[in-house]
Amino acid sequence: MSQSNLNINQHQDEAQLDDRVVETIGRALRAHYDDLVDAPLPDRFFELLAELERRERDTAGRPGGSDAAK
Amino acid sequence: MPPNDFKTDLIAEMPNLRAFGVSLCGSASMADDLVQETLLRAWSKWDKFQPGTSLRAWLFTILRNIYYSNCRKSVREVQDSDGAYAQRLVVPGDQESHVDLEDFRKALTKLPVEQREVLILVGASGVSYEEAAAICGVEVGTIKSRLSRARSQLVAILGWGARTEARGERSKLRRAG
Repeated sequence: MSQSNLNINQHQDEAQLDDRVVETIGRALRAHYDDLVDAPLPDRFFELLAELERRERDTAGRPGGSDAAK
Repeated sequence: MPPNDFKTDLIAEMPNLRAFGVSLCGSASMADDLVQETLLRAWSKWDKFQPGTSLRAWLFTILRNIYYSNCRKSVREVQDSDGAYAQRLVVPGDQESHVDLEDFRKALTKLPVEQREVLILVGASGVSYEEAAAICGVEVGTIKSRLSRARSQLVAILGWGARTEARGERSKLRRAG
């Protein structure tokens, strides 16, 4: 069982938030998320994909085992 | 080997994958590990992806599973001591003016992760309620009630009294605009 984190206003009326509050939250959420989406990606993601691709190409280039290795 | 269009789509989804990871675990460096692991799994299981469905939702599901199975406890500890987690990632000077984004981010980190992930998924990442339900392994109704609880908790954490404060936010918006 996970410990409950729901102790802040757990039983607060959930249906009655002002539309403008909901809208403000929505805009802040998208601003938060869009900032993260726009942040530069670490090189290591691209390096990983390039490495995976290289490995697969090497394997594919050796049909039925490597002649070059003999 | 995954076909080229899968690779292209995978690369195109990386920014979203990372944004979801950071939002989920609250730590940029841990999110990068999560994304890396997700890319590895997606690459090796590409043939399990059903064309025509959302690649984003599929990747989010993988990342979330890794997060919940591996990292949750340690991530929490980091998150508590790393309240300003997202600042390092943020490109400055491009913020919404009407809400202090840093305050909002701090409030987000205080939500239970079950609520935070739903807010991010449905409210920002562009996945549907149905996809969010599939990603989280729950019913759509559960997504909706978590979303509503999450909003209420955010309001409580941010100290926005519902109506008065909404008006305050509006006037700030007018002034800024």
